Amino acid sequence: MDRKSAKVVVAGGFGTGKTTLVGSVSEIPPLTTEEVLTQASIGVDDLAGVEDKTSTTVALDFGRITINADIVLYLFGTPGQDRFWFMWDELALGAVGAIVLIDTRRLDASFPAVDYFERRGIPFVAAVNLFFGECLYSEEEIRSALKLDSTVPLVWCDARDRASSKQALIAMVRHAMSRLPANAQPAE
Amino acid sequence: MTDDMWYGHDDGGGGRFVPLYVLVNGRTCPRNTSLDLATQVIALPTDTRPLEPEHREIIYQCESWMSIAEIAAHLDLPLAVAKVLVDILLERGYLAIGSPADKMIADRGLLETILAGLQSL
Repeated sequence: MDRKSAKVVVAGGFGTGKTTLVGSVSEIPPLTTEEVLTQASIGVDDLAGVEDKTSTTVALDFGRITINADIVLYLFGTPGQDRFWFMWDELALGAVGAIVLIDTRRLDASFPAVDYFERRGIPFVAAVNLFFGECLYSEEEIRSALKLDSTVPLVWCDARDRASSKQALIAMVRHAMSRLPANAQPAE
Repeated sequence: MTDDMWYGHDDGGGGRFVPLYVLVNGRTCPRNTSLDLATQVIALPTDTRPLEPEHREIIYQCESWMSIAEIAAHLDLPLAVAKVLVDILLERGYLAIGSPADKMIADRGLLETILAGLQSL
């Protein structure tokens, strides 16, 4: 059957507005699903006071956009804790690309996400989320702080605003298209 | 084996009656390894009466195309469990599957369609 899914990953550090962005463009209220981990976090998490805790729950927020009768685009927000990389791998495999949200008050929070997509060659755009207030830095300053490659688009957005989030998605898809090899099917 | 173990008291007070490991038949990962969180499935017109209630709930959810992630969220199941349950129902012919997600997107036509869809939102 020709029913196709496409995925977009919405990443960024804890509290950068991932769920907000997913919610502002999704046609359904964001859904949450959970993966239960056992043992995995031992030695990583500080278990003081919760020594009996043998499982950890990783929550995943996502939304959807129906593109046409055959294609649905799913938007997956990455789990808040950056160390759950195995979840990222599942989300990123076969993804059209990623949006890495950036809170300029805490640029370093988004660095692991930038690094992740760069290493795997997954197309992404950096989206500076302006809902935290006026941005005090120039594009050059942000690029240099995040060590962004000059080919990675940087966009300004307000994750609460549907039109603004949509523009970030469009920039990401355009970027993914620009990275296709020239011998891929030519545009009509 | 006696029967009464199946009529045991549910100390959980409204917890899940059938443990998850029973529902998945001990299967811990899907046999169809191309199943992805975003893979969509749809119910086929079949007699669902022989199914366990949990399996039937999935069929009901899938009257229209539904992704594995959505099934997990609506039925409050861990993702890995939802994936295995869908795998079992696909094998038994209760569900049909959409195109599996590509491992690498190299289809300009698909990206163009997505772009056009986003622009017209």
